[in-house]
Amino acid sequence: MTGDQLKLRVAAIQDIAPTLRLVRFENADAGPLPPSATGAHLQVVLQAPDKQIRNAYSLISKPGSRDVYEIIVRRVPASRGGSAYIHEQLKTGDLLTTSWPGNLFAPQRSARKHIMIAGGIGITPFLSYVADFANKGIDYELHLCCREEEKDSFAPWLPEPDKVFMHWDADGHRLDIPALLLRQPANTHLYVCGPDFLTDDVLEAAEAGGWPDNHVHCERFGSALSGGEAFRAVLQRSGKQIEVGEHESLLEAIEREGVEVPCLCRGGACGVCLTSVLDGEPQHRDHYLSKTERASGKHIMPCVSRARGGGLLVLDL
Amino acid sequence: MTIAFKPDETYRGDYTYRNSDAAILRFPFPFPEDSYMYSVNIEPHVRGGFTPVYDNPIDVDEHYIAECRDKAITLERDPGRYAALPHMMTAQWDALEMLMECLSTDYPALFSLHKDGDHWTWINRPLGLEQSFTFGKEETLPCEPFEYITRQVQGDFALLDQRNGTLYLDAGMVTSQADWSLQFDVGMDFMEWHGPVPLAHQAGVFERALKFLLMLRQGQPMRRLNWTMTVNPRLDTSPETYPEWGPDRTQLTLDNIGRKLHLRVELQTLWRLPRSNAILFPLRCYLASLDELVRVPKWGRRLHRVLSTLPRELAEYKGMVRFLPTALEYLSAHDDGAPTRSGCAAEISTL
Amino acid sequence: MNTTTCDAGHRSELNDRTAPPSMRSRPTYASLSPDMAGREHLLVIEADALQPGQASALSNSFTAIAGALRTVVSGSDLPVPGASVQPDLAATLLAVKARLSGATMQQRVYAIGSEPFIWSIHTAAIEAGLDERQIRLCHSGSLKRRVWCTHCHDTTENVTTNIVACAGCGRHLLVRDHFSRRLGAFMGVQIDAEVPGEVPTTEEVFP
Repeated sequence: MTGDQLKLRVAAIQDIAPTLRLVRFENADAGPLPPSATGAHLQVVLQAPDKQIRNAYSLISKPGSRDVYEIIVRRVPASRGGSAYIHEQLKTGDLLTTSWPGNLFAPQRSARKHIMIAGGIGITPFLSYVADFANKGIDYELHLCCREEEKDSFAPWLPEPDKVFMHWDADGHRLDIPALLLRQPANTHLYVCGPDFLTDDVLEAAEAGGWPDNHVHCERFGSALSGGEAFRAVLQRSGKQIEVGEHESLLEAIEREGVEVPCLCRGGACGVCLTSVLDGEPQHRDHYLSKTERASGKHIMPCVSRARGGGLLVLDL
Repeated sequence: MTIAFKPDETYRGDYTYRNSDAAILRFPFPFPEDSYMYSVNIEPHVRGGFTPVYDNPIDVDEHYIAECRDKAITLERDPGRYAALPHMMTAQWDALEMLMECLSTDYPALFSLHKDGDHWTWINRPLGLEQSFTFGKEETLPCEPFEYITRQVQGDFALLDQRNGTLYLDAGMVTSQADWSLQFDVGMDFMEWHGPVPLAHQAGVFERALKFLLMLRQGQPMRRLNWTMTVNPRLDTSPETYPEWGPDRTQLTLDNIGRKLHLRVELQTLWRLPRSNAILFPLRCYLASLDELVRVPKWGRRLHRVLSTLPRELAEYKGMVRFLPTALEYLSAHDDGAPTRSGCAAEISTL
Repeated sequence: MNTTTCDAGHRSELNDRTAPPSMRSRPTYASLSPDMAGREHLLVIEADALQPGQASALSNSFTAIAGALRTVVSGSDLPVPGASVQPDLAATLLAVKARLSGATMQQRVYAIGSEPFIWSIHTAAIEAGLDERQIRLCHSGSLKRRVWCTHCHDTTENVTTNIVACAGCGRHLLVRDHFSRRLGAFMGVQIDAEVPGEVPTTEEVFP
């Protein structure tokens, strides 16, 4: 029951909508997989011809599943390579290296009720939630905000359609977030996963609606956080100077140069890739450092944060 | 691997518990240096290390049968030593699966687990148990799943629920604890239940430990050693039964302290559980008398030096003030002042 | 989908925690003020614990949310407009539970009084599903403690001394600072377990 890397084989690929691809993995080594979990993700290493891409994808398999893992990947127009690779190049039988399942978005087991708000592909972490909750008879509501033509794409993963509410951008169909949040019993937990504008709306409505902040949980799309102005970084201990491009993260640029940085969520939440800054001014985009730590400028989370104003960063790496 | 169990030894009454030579040599001696240092001393719980105790993620030793029996006696007298809050049921099944898989994989001659979908059969040969049940269905086991499996594994167990940026002690099986009360502490958060520990809060030890534990990953368990001293080889040193064992502390003399005073080492491991995202926290207790420990010359010297430098607050917290001078006098005869090598290893292979 | 996670708010709280000098399980208190983020408010007052004039000062500080405020007074009557007066703690807890059945995420609870009193209200609020962050407690009046016996698990009320005879088993208990929010009680451990009969002088330390 210990380890950190898995070798997986692509067992099946299925397009469930024009831009949505389901990928099913099985263990390429002997024996069962580590149990997947409600809200868990898998960090997948994709070997594109010119570079290695590491992306985290929510596991949509039934919680506890040990025979297969499944993910759903949307084709993103401004893809940094991951979604394009999966949609264009990945084929059945391919072997991939992944992390063990990690979980940064587990439901709160002590809750009386769960409300999930998803924007589009942001539904994926909640597919394991609804499987788990339906199985245990736990009270929940899932609100999906998506394009009208996509509202049925996820039906196979929704065991209790009466607890799922579809919303789209048309009169009479938009989600009234403040009204939803006003009529919930004590000890309800609220989860949101989707584009930043939706997440921000929900967080704002929850605060205005008197929800204690520890009852509100969000998973943001990492792609919205990476990328920005190009800059240069010096890795002091390794004696390397690297160029960080507009479309890659500092962490990706460091890895491209063959320098290892321990990391987990690759989205500024977990704190594992915390790196000391010897010189230069970071532009913090993480959710991990405290205000004081940000202001001191002594540390950076290279998975999401960059150099302010395209300046030079000197790192203790 | 064959383990010669000692099924008749006792942890109460006539206290017939003893360590074989092999058990002394594999003792997880917790002091790597000649002076006392408080540290988080946490490391990955990987196979192998200075003691064979680390050879398997869950260690089974010669005391297994006797210890499980002692646990059953303690639970019979006080069923409150097991407690689980209702939201911990998913974590209970996680823990059962983890422990059954570890035991059946590493000790196939002793334990077997057969799975047919969710229909499982568990065989525990040393305790003579066979149980078929449906994974995830509480009613198919004689008691709650966490209680069921932790009655069959040496040591104490806690289940920690992660929420609000901290960990809550929301379930436990606690029959061999170093003086803390599950009934009082259940439901407490990490800082609350460590409230009584002196010095470490000021050093920020718990803040750092907590931040680290919140990021603990499935598949990558961690471990640390903790220690105290106990008079007589007694597992149940709970505050509940303090009136039963407290007087023992006044019974020590230079003549009997080598036999009666035991170093009590807790191997604490921490495991992220998959379905529940909770943490399983086994606290395994190893006991060895001073007489047994000084048979390893390095450990005799080291123990004398460490106890000589123990801060007063810690001696008080560990309840050692009354007998510490006598222990030091006994140990001084086993410390010739020779230098010792850094690290915990015994550095000898026979006694 | 490539994602990242956060629990709104809790990171900074974690980072900003620093160790106060007293035991970490020992609660600390601030004076009561309404939480303006709430929509429904319940104020519970232990009458005997208040100083003269404190009740009206309390009412004044809750004026801003008066329209959404219910008040329960325990013990004797107080000059608090619209308050429901309950004779004792048991009746007060019944009233609080009734008021909180069907509570929403917008509910807030405030309690002022001795520590055993306010933590009893806290337990009732938690059982109704409220979070710690929906509850504000203020200690006022006596320092008396509720003491939980480690040996027989009974509780002894109104303890003002460092050592107390357990109401359940009669053992002499040393009252420790280790506090359980769930039980609303401090831990008591037999003082003379090692040498029976060796009991230090009892002193009034929680007047």
